[in-house]
Amino acid sequence: MAPPGPRSGDAIFASVERVNAELFTLTYGATVRQLLTDLEEVEEVNKQLDQMGYNIGIRLIDEFLAKSNVSRCIDFKETADVIAKVGFKMFLGINATVTNWDADGTCCNIILEDNPLADFVELPDTCQGLYYCNILSGVIRGALEMVSMKTEVTWLRDVLRGDDAYELQVKLLKQVPEEYPYKDDE
Amino acid sequence: MIGVGKIKQYSNVLDKPLSKGKQEVSLSAFAFLFSELVQYNQTQVDNIAELERRLEDAGYAVGARVLELLCHREKGNRRETRLLGILSFVHSTVWKVLFGKVADSLEKGTEHEDEYMISEKELLVNRFISIPKDMGTFNCGAFVAGIVRGVLEGAGFPAVVTAHFVPVEGQQRPRTTILIKFAEEVLIFPPSLVTVLLWI
Amino acid sequence: MAAICSLYIINKSGGLIYYKDYGSGGRMDTNDSLRVASLWHSMHAISQQLSPTTGCYGIELLEADTFDLHCFQSLTGTKFFVVCEPGTQQMESLLKVIYELYTDYVLKNPFYEMEMPIRCELFDINLSQVVQKDRVVLLGR
Repeated sequence: MAPPGPRSGDAIFASVERVNAELFTLTYGATVRQLLTDLEEVEEVNKQLDQMGYNIGIRLIDEFLAKSNVSRCIDFKETADVIAKVGFKMFLGINATVTNWDADGTCCNIILEDNPLADFVELPDTCQGLYYCNILSGVIRGALEMVSMKTEVTWLRDVLRGDDAYELQVKLLKQVPEEYPYKDDE
Repeated sequence: MIGVGKIKQYSNVLDKPLSKGKQEVSLSAFAFLFSELVQYNQTQVDNIAELERRLEDAGYAVGARVLELLCHREKGNRRETRLLGILSFVHSTVWKVLFGKVADSLEKGTEHEDEYMISEKELLVNRFISIPKDMGTFNCGAFVAGIVRGVLEGAGFPAVVTAHFVPVEGQQRPRTTILIKFAEEVLIFPPSLVTVLLWI
Repeated sequence: MAAICSLYIINKSGGLIYYKDYGSGGRMDTNDSLRVASLWHSMHAISQQLSPTTGCYGIELLEADTFDLHCFQSLTGTKFFVVCEPGTQQMESLLKVIYELYTDYVLKNPFYEMEMPIRCELFDINLSQVVQKDRVVLLGR
C-alpha cells in the first residue's frame, strides 16, 4: 500500500484546531516587551528572539513532518518550497512565495504575504534596529537543523522598519550527513 | 510579478482599518510560542513564585490591550461601570475573543464579599502542558490571571487575580479557577457610584 | 487476539526516552530496556548500511515466531517502535498517531527538555486512550 502523499498547507490548516490570531499577536507583543525590559539593548533582544525561535523550530519540525506527510526532500529547492507553501500556511495561515534562487540552488528568498506577529505594531523611536519578527528566522533555522540542514536565515525586508514587505533570505550552508554508530573512523 | 511582495501600506498604523478579529493561526503556533515564553521566564527566575509573577505580568500587558481593542470594536467606546457588568464582559466577551468560547462558569465567592471565580475545565493555554510533580501547585494559567487583571484594572476595577488548580471528584485532571479579589475601594466606591457623586 | 506488548520511543542518539509495557509478562527492568533500545538504534542504523541500494530508511518491520516489531523513524531521527503479537494489524497507523501525540503533549510542554525521558502526564493519558491492553482503539484523527 503506497503511503499517503503530502498534504497541502490549506488542507492541513483547515483540519487543525485554530485560535484567534489576536491572542497570538498580543502574546508575541508581550514577549517582545518582556525582552526589551529584561535585556534593554535592541541587539540583545534580536539575538534572544532568534534563539527563542530556534528553540521553537527544533520542536515544531516534528509536528510539521507528522501533519504534512512530507517525505525526504530531494533537494533544497523542494525544502524551501515546502516551507513556503505548507509550513507558513499550516501554522500561521499565511501564504508565502519563494523567489530569487541563486545558481547553485542553495540560496533563496521567501516573501510573506501577511504577518500575524506584527499586526498593528509600530516600532517606537527607541526601538530602531529591532527586528521585531526575528523569532521567525530562528524557527526556520532550528527546524531545518533537525533535518540535517545548517542554514543562515536573515531579514531582507521588514515592514516595521519601513520596507514594503516581509522578506527572508534562507541560505543553505551545509547538509550534515547522518552518522552511523558503527562506521569506522577514517 | 505585479502584486507579489507588497502589503497594502498605511502611512500611519492608526489609519489601518481595525480588523474584525477573524484572522486565525493554528493552536499549535500559539502553543509553541506560549511554551517558549514559559521556558524563557524559567531562565529568569529562582523560584516558582517569581515565575508566576512574570507570567502574570506578561498576561497583564495582553489584558490591557484586549480591553482597548474590544472597547472600540464591540461596545462603541461605552465604558462598563458596574462590577457584574465587567465580570460578565470578561467571562463572555474577552474569553470568546481570546479563547474561542465563553468561560465555563462565573461565580461569586461564598466566603468573602470581594471574591469572584471564573472557572474552566481546562484553560486553552494549558492544553498541552503537564506540570511536573516537583512544581507543586504551579499553574501556567497565571498568564490568564494576568490577562484578567489587565482588563479589570484598565476598566477601573483594580483586583488581585490568581490561577488555581482545583481537583474534581471523579476526574483525573483538575479544573482551573481564576480567582478575582477586588481591591477594597472597588466595593466601597464602585465607578457608577463615583459618577453619581460627581453629579451632586 | 492480537495485542500490543510494549512501546518504545528512542531519541536520535539512541537513548530510551519512553518505555511502556502492556502487561505481557515480558516486562523489562530499566537497565535492560535501556540496553535493548540502544541495541535497536544500532541495528536500525546498520540495516541502512546493509541495503544494496541507496535511500533505505531502516527496518520498519521485524517478524519473529512469537512477536512482530514495527518501527517508525521520523526525519528528525526519533524512533517509535512497538512489539506486538504476530499478525497484529494497523501498527503503522498506531505509530503515526503516537508520533502526533508526541508532537502535541511532549514537544509543546515547556517543562519537557529535548532528548530527555518523557514524563508528561497528558502524554500518558492520551496514549492510554489510544491503546488498550487487548484491543487497539484508533480514535479518528
